[in-house]
Amino acid sequence: MSFLGIGGNQGAPSGGVNTDKIEMATEQLDMITDVYNRLVESCHTKCISQRYTEGDLNKGESVCIDRCVAKFFEVNKKVGQKLQSLGPGATGGAGGSAFGSI
Amino acid sequence: MDFSTLNTAEQAHMSRVIEKKQMQDFMRMYSRLVDRCFNACCNDFTSKALSSKEEQCVLNCTDKFLKHSERVGARFAEQNADMMSSQS
Repeated sequence: MSFLGIGGNQGAPSGGVNTDKIEMATEQLDMITDVYNRLVESCHTKCISQRYTEGDLNKGESVCIDRCVAKFFEVNKKVGQKLQSLGPGATGGAGGSAFGSI
Repeated sequence: MDFSTLNTAEQAHMSRVIEKKQMQDFMRMYSRLVDRCFNACCNDFTSKALSSKEEQCVLNCTDKFLKHSERVGARFAEQNADMMSSQS
């Protein structure tokens, strides 16, 4: 894939900034941050009791968190595989119905 | 995340972007933590001062959340590294 001729920064000399690459890196960063935040939220709700009798994680909670993260990634993978198996057309059809009807 | 394809100017730019996002993330976490601990710990409004029980609960809540966040971060990094290495 060549970024030459696209956008305002042509050729990206060693001192220049390639906006396409920056944008892609920023989107990737946003995605990972989003996954992490949702993971923290979900696992906290599922694993940590609301009573707060002490400030440390007990053994049960620690183990629960480890398993929660592992399962979350498994689910992430399975959902990704399923969506991929539906084929490239399906992601436009099934997922984007709001935009498809415009 | 692979920053090796970016040159030094781009990496510097990304560092600034990351720093700004970290600050925003911290503020967001702070306000959600206050919400969470308040909702979990403060249910008795017969007095406007925080009772010592409630105060201890809030401190425990904060402590626990930070430790939880740290642990999730460690596991997340491991899983991410596993996933990256299995893809390449």
